[in-house]
Amino acid sequence: MHERLSFHIQRDSFLHRLNPLTKLVLTLALILIAFTFPWYWTPHILVLIAIIPLSIVGKVFREFSLTALRLIIPAAGFLFLMQAFFQPIGEDVIFKFYFLDITSESLMFAFRNAMRVFVMVSAFTLFLVTTHPSELMSDLTRRGLPGQFAYVIISTLQILPQMQAKAQTIISAQRSRGLDTESSFFKRAGSLIPLIGPLVFGSLVEVEERAIAIEARGFTSRHVKTSLHEIPDSAFDQFLRWALLALIIVSIGLNLWPS
Amino acid sequence: MAFINLQNVTYKYPLTKGPVLQNINLQVREGEFVSVIGPNGAGKSTLCYALAGFVPHFFKGEFSGEIEVDGKQSSKSTLDEWVLNVGLAFQNPFNQISGAKYTVFEELAFGLENIGVPRDEMKVRVEEAMALTGISDLADRSPYSLSGGQQQRVALTSILVMRPRLLVLDEPTSQMDPIGTREVFGVVRRMAEQGMTVVMVEHKMEWIAEFADRVIALKEGQILMEGRPNEVLTSDLLTENGFGVSRYTSTAREAKKRGLWRKDHLPVTLDEAVEGFKK
Repeated sequence: MHERLSFHIQRDSFLHRLNPLTKLVLTLALILIAFTFPWYWTPHILVLIAIIPLSIVGKVFREFSLTALRLIIPAAGFLFLMQAFFQPIGEDVIFKFYFLDITSESLMFAFRNAMRVFVMVSAFTLFLVTTHPSELMSDLTRRGLPGQFAYVIISTLQILPQMQAKAQTIISAQRSRGLDTESSFFKRAGSLIPLIGPLVFGSLVEVEERAIAIEARGFTSRHVKTSLHEIPDSAFDQFLRWALLALIIVSIGLNLWPS
Repeated sequence: MAFINLQNVTYKYPLTKGPVLQNINLQVREGEFVSVIGPNGAGKSTLCYALAGFVPHFFKGEFSGEIEVDGKQSSKSTLDEWVLNVGLAFQNPFNQISGAKYTVFEELAFGLENIGVPRDEMKVRVEEAMALTGISDLADRSPYSLSGGQQQRVALTSILVMRPRLLVLDEPTSQMDPIGTREVFGVVRRMAEQGMTVVMVEHKMEWIAEFADRVIALKEGQILMEGRPNEVLTSDLLTENGFGVSRYTSTAREAKKRGLWRKDHLPVTLDEAVEGFKK
């Protein structure tokens, strides 16, 4: 069944052992530097010196490359084509397609933006794959994030597959009573309407019961919450966070600096 | 001084027409195991919510009367203080899973994390509670991958681990097989013997007769009858008011009409029935 409900892959690696907040800061640093550092080849270099090495250090290179091939590269590639065709900059036309021109400038522009998006999505992927969601939330809650906020994020991740399963049950139940789900598109769309009632109203009732259940277990207690799992936060983590923060500031500063 | 004291409790949900609870007066002493029976719509679940503080703190509506547990008044307390003393587990186990945890062990620790129990003590308490209800082997499973009966055990354990003074259970064995049901009644009985007060809504008359100290029959929001399990569960008043009785009681009642049951009292459990027919 739904034993695995997050992107997280359990491995024992340096990256997995980093504090969740450190990894979050690292992710943001990669993204912000890729977008703000005023040097054309920044995102390209980041892929080579940060994204790929990190996926190896985190022992998730194989999973990461699969995701990149299936998802990130097609998305970035699509963005590249759109921008290359539709960005009306530059004079040096190298390719014509009816009314669309590709100039060397628009090509360079599109290449950089596609790489920036690649860095952004890759960094987030690595973050999600190497960080257990409940560890991230416990750590952020410990640092002052409201417990309710953390709960909403985590429970949504878990409850979505459950809702999916429930929708499937309702469809099966209604099909066994003669609901048509296999003919033309419009008929099928119409036949989905009886699904909405039980699913939506059922979920609202569930939300009330769940609220009672977690309240009965002290959810809104004013005690300082504790955490079952010990979350690592070494001196190195702290150093790394400050260093990354400094890099972000330098990058944004250079970007804003009137040149 | 009673541990639980309900004085003239009347309550109406915001959207219902009439009151769901009417003039309930009830005293329960500490360590007593009280079972509540009644047909659908009798107000059993509402009574549970009232004891656990959710009526009126969570459901709003019109509330009058006074609920006192361990000398503290519900109306003068807040819900988050109240739940520290009163634990509630209800029927649908699926909705009692927090949804924020990935394993049963974490799920059971959820309540302890919320009330700030230190990590080492938390682990000890979770392990003890799991051993008590017999779910130690489920510790690393995802709560969503369990069967209904297993989820009900997890729901019960997740409340027991918080060590409430009063345990309120609303049909906690509805999805369990007879063996599971018997074990849960056994656990609850043991908790009562250790001083935990228990109020449990149930339909399974044989087990109530065997384990509970007292039965309260609820009908249309009022207490119809209360007393020792054998007296209440075999009473004619119950059958006249549309309550279900155990199959042993109804068999013996038929037998009595035909002169085949010679004892004064009707049986509730199999053992009592066998005993009675032997004579």
